[in-house]
Amino acid sequence: MKFSAILAAGLLSFPFVSVSAQDINDAQIASIVVTANQVDIDAGKLAKTHSTNEEVKTFAQLMVRDHTGVNTSATDLAAKLKVTPQDNPTSQSLKSDGDKNLARLKTLTGTAFDKAYVDHEVTYHQQVIDALDKTLIPGAANGELKALLIKVRPAFVAHLEHARRLRSSIVKES
Amino acid sequence: MLRMASFVTALGVIAGMMGVVGGDERPPSTHTVTIEGMRFQPDVLTVAPGDTIMWVNRDLVPHTATSKDGDFDSKEIQAGESWSYTIRAAGDFAYICAFHPTMTATLRVK
Repeated sequence: MKFSAILAAGLLSFPFVSVSAQDINDAQIASIVVTANQVDIDAGKLAKTHSTNEEVKTFAQLMVRDHTGVNTSATDLAAKLKVTPQDNPTSQSLKSDGDKNLARLKTLTGTAFDKAYVDHEVTYHQQVIDALDKTLIPGAANGELKALLIKVRPAFVAHLEHARRLRSSIVKES
Repeated sequence: MLRMASFVTALGVIAGMMGVVGGDERPPSTHTVTIEGMRFQPDVLTVAPGDTIMWVNRDLVPHTATSKDGDFDSKEIQAGESWSYTIRAAGDFAYICAFHPTMTATLRVK
């Protein structure tokens, strides 16, 4: 594993480590979902303008489109259930790590940028899938919130596969 | 109301004429493909020429139904929305979601 991937894994493994399904409520889950999506939308927007690789730009556009769609559904459901997303250590860590990722990406250009962005996307999606399986889905008390989390999981799996293929393609080109 | 009734009657006459002219043994059907869990379901659908296929997006993210050979393209189907297409020609039409290329399916028209 390259240093950048190790760094990304280290940065992103932290936000989900200390939270168990028993210790989390629906308002906190809503905040985590919205923050997790927003972090990836922000990274995607940066990649769309910074990358010169068409495949990377297409992937970044997909991330912006899909995570915006998920956030719209999550926000609509929270409003319907009268749940106000509640800030918590996990959502705060996600935001902080997202900001660090953006700051780091902004210092890079060309293939170095593409590799760093896509490496982070692989790690991020794996971490979110793990969080869905271990914490968010089992922790959701409301049935509709749980159903939304279950429904969104295949999109994250598809994104992870897409990011992995893209990473292989970038490595071959460089 | 009368104008509406005349319009409906006219549609019925036209539809009847088309049936006679085409020699169809059955009226065209409408089929549904559900897009859910990042998959087209069913992934192989058999229809007859003249049938209409409605793709219903039950995912939370936008999708498309895009023929690989350019025969049809829904463009973006938003979450919760649908898109219909009436297919005339016979043959196998492989299609994908242009956003998520791992999503593949086939429309079999015969």
